[in-house]
Amino acid sequence: MNDYQTTVGIEIHCELKTNAKMFSPAKNGYTKEANTNINEIDFAYPGVLPTINEEAVRLALKAAILLNCKINQTMYFDRKNYFYPDLPKGYQITQARTPIGVDGFLEIKLNEGTKKVRIHDIHIEEDTAKSIHHNNKTLLDFNRCGVPLIEIVTEADMHTSEEAKAYVRTLKELFFYEDISDCKIEEGSMRCDVNVSVSKTNALGTRTETKNVGSISSVGEVVEREAIRQIKKIESGNRIEEETRRYDEAKKETVLMRKKETGNDYRYFPDGDFPPLVLTEELIKEVTSSITLLPEERRKILENAGISEVNIEKIIANKTLCDYLLSLNTNLKIASNLLLGEIASYLNTHNKKLEETKLTKERLEYIVKKLETKEITNQVFKDILISLFESEKEIEEILKEAKKDTIDDDETLRSMIIKIIEDNEQSVEDYKNGKDRAVKFLMGQIMKSSKGKASPTLANALLIEELEHKK
Amino acid sequence: MEKLTQEEVLHVADLARIEVEAEKLEKYSVELKQLLNDIDKIKDVEVAEDEILVTPTHHFASMREKDKIRNEDFEMIRKNLPLSVGKFVSVPVVIKND
Repeated sequence: MNDYQTTVGIEIHCELKTNAKMFSPAKNGYTKEANTNINEIDFAYPGVLPTINEEAVRLALKAAILLNCKINQTMYFDRKNYFYPDLPKGYQITQARTPIGVDGFLEIKLNEGTKKVRIHDIHIEEDTAKSIHHNNKTLLDFNRCGVPLIEIVTEADMHTSEEAKAYVRTLKELFFYEDISDCKIEEGSMRCDVNVSVSKTNALGTRTETKNVGSISSVGEVVEREAIRQIKKIESGNRIEEETRRYDEAKKETVLMRKKETGNDYRYFPDGDFPPLVLTEELIKEVTSSITLLPEERRKILENAGISEVNIEKIIANKTLCDYLLSLNTNLKIASNLLLGEIASYLNTHNKKLEETKLTKERLEYIVKKLETKEITNQVFKDILISLFESEKEIEEILKEAKKDTIDDDETLRSMIIKIIEDNEQSVEDYKNGKDRAVKFLMGQIMKSSKGKASPTLANALLIEELEHKK
Repeated sequence: MEKLTQEEVLHVADLARIEVEAEKLEKYSVELKQLLNDIDKIKDVEVAEDEILVTPTHHFASMREKDKIRNEDFEMIRKNLPLSVGKFVSVPVVIKND
């Protein structure tokens, strides 16, 4: 089995996050009630004329720029003919000849480094109605019919399940951060078709396409299971045929849906309803400048702030949190610890959003500054946490009240420190031998003994003074 | 080749979701081939260097602004539907429930 190389190409359909549909002005939005976001264009009434949604074109253009594609500045739309009730026109409007972007790439991060996955093209098209097969009837909901889609097609550049998963994860993160799509794979707003082939030679084997894979982990499973199935079939003397398959998540296997229809069967031809669409230099510049800080750039900023890799991934996974953190003008490491720790805990417990509390950016920046300069301890922060979220009082006043209990008189603290030094002779020896961590340990003991009430700045100064006397 | 194979005719029929009676297969094999022969004549025209002609006019497409939303009431659409169930459009069964 090891003689075979697996090759993977992925096609992803992403619903664009627009206000209206692609070629009709019906609303693009999820609603529980069937056939509410519809109009006569979606139903292909005789004489209707589709129009192009500018917002969708801008988002598709942004996606093409993000994927480093060459832009087709003069675009046409084509008809992809197929006869099925989920598109009453009898064809899907798509871009077969002049996709908005071609020849791009996406860089993915792997354990062994980075890799460029080449993008063959990215094109605009429309989604179909949702079919529900029930009690020997097929029922149709046209809310999804005409929703703008982009399809991103890679070259056959991936060879492992890890690469396939990293590609989907990176693309999803990029589109989500740039508000191109809400990228909910489980809900179908991002759908992955995974093409897999195996071969013992440099020539590619015959591929199969597994459609609508329902999660990133399933994308990895499809690559592995499908490669094993194909190798077994070849080894038992059979040929692989071009097929469309689906993934049975419960059985962990791909299942045949149908023999594949070829491109010729769709009889693509230019859609005469649309004159050519020209993307001006001005529009391209405007869309390019609307691109914000990308996830990888955010990771670098957080990494430079000294935040751990685990915490960086937690922050990146939550765009609202990430945007908020990066908008703060303060020590990001301390702020991230507070946001992921006590602040997240309070918000979860009280089922609130940060903006629904009294903890403004200014308050948080102020507190982080106080923690950074060790003017307050973590204990003080914990003591005032509820007030920070709920009190109308000025922050200085809240702190003043909390610090009433702070032990900050020289005499009390010094006697506490002398006692701790006597009880920890080994640490004193370590200090004499130049071991810095002895100070941290002894400070910990002081905080423990004072129940977190000792002024950290004063305690630290007095501790060093006493330790120096011992030298 | 003066006619299509019966398999090719059946494939085209399958794509169009049309049922073809067995006795008419021979007839369609010839007729479809004649159509394809005519299309081949068009294919012979040298157009490789030409731009795609989508429209004979020199207009470019304009785009619809994002705030223009216009939903139609389903009741209006329903009037023209052969069949509906609740708020769904009903069509002859496409896939049978197993």
